[in-house]
Amino acid sequence: MHVYIYDEYLNKSKYNKAINRMEIRLTDLGLNGKIIRLGGIKNIKGAVQNEVRLGAKTIIAVGNNQTVNKIIGAIIDGEMYDDFQKKTLLGIIPIGEDNSIAASFGIKNEEDACNILLARRIEKIDLGLVGKHYFLNQASIPSAGTTIEIDNYSLEIAEKGEVQIINLLSDPKEKINSNPHDGRLELLIRTRKKDQTFLTIRKLKITNPQEKLLIDGIVEIDTPAEIGIMQNKVNVIVGKDRLFE
Amino acid sequence: MFSKENKLEKFKDAETIIGASIKVKGNFQGQGNIIIEGTLEGSLKTDANVFIGEKARVVANIEARDAVINGEVQGNVKAKNYLAVGESAKIFGDIHYGEISIEKGAVVNGQLLATALDKKTGRGSSTDREDEAEK
Repeated sequence: MHVYIYDEYLNKSKYNKAINRMEIRLTDLGLNGKIIRLGGIKNIKGAVQNEVRLGAKTIIAVGNNQTVNKIIGAIIDGEMYDDFQKKTLLGIIPIGEDNSIAASFGIKNEEDACNILLARRIEKIDLGLVGKHYFLNQASIPSAGTTIEIDNYSLEIAEKGEVQIINLLSDPKEKINSNPHDGRLELLIRTRKKDQTFLTIRKLKITNPQEKLLIDGIVEIDTPAEIGIMQNKVNVIVGKDRLFE
Repeated sequence: MFSKENKLEKFKDAETIIGASIKVKGNFQGQGNIIIEGTLEGSLKTDANVFIGEKARVVANIEARDAVINGEVQGNVKAKNYLAVGESAKIFGDIHYGEISIEKGAVVNGQLLATALDKKTGRGSSTDREDEAEK
């Protein structure tokens, strides 16, 4: 059984055309399923876990990065996680802005996403972890005044720029090696002086009293924050044009 | 083996790059190639290669297989295989090497100690000399 979880913002009329296109395509492909609209649901965790309990084979996030993270957050710490990991796949249908996670998986638009769901190409994906928050793409923070502690050493950055902790690369133009299966995160620091720092790590602690850490472009967290990784945590349906091997 | 000229080529191969704006404090250890363009205080160790950039400042003992040094190092350098000291390098500490090249203009203030590299030829196995000359 396919369960489509529509995010709340899709209630706006400007998304009607995209949703109609998607639903027609899903019908054509024989991928119809149950629809849950988050707008009317307060207990997302309960709703998602219940669908896993009822035997959902695929849970599809229809929306953006936030929708995907809501669904992952709803299932990852719950009692149904073992069932979710063994029996359920996560699919994504991107609609609207802020869809870097879908882009990482090679999913360009809603119609493309439907075809990808049918093909069922599956990858086990690591999840980044910051406190109680999970991320697929990255966490980022302005670099000036940031201190990063890793194992037996620390990094201090005085220059303005950006610190990125990457699990899953979202920009196809980026020329760095990033693998979301390897149980490691990539630390990338770029400053206005055009210099670049790159390390591969398993965990770190990041501190900047003046700035907040931004997760997948949507959630802001105060520092100090400890960031880690959990390997092969989610089975995701991906496109052949995904940005990783 | 690598040289100053192919630094950019090596950039992609490096597992770790420390940029010019970064200050690292502590014991920095890796298994892949490491490029240091910024400041490092503590120790630096890898099973692979180390490249110290022209503007880098390293106050640490360095251990690597191959090493290319173009910046300032205050500490001992141990290159098991090959050490290249560039013209802009300033090394204040003892150097242990399998093979070495030192460009004109480099400053080396410490002992140069060759370690056994090739058992067949014995090259580098008996050379112990002190060199405090400014090249």
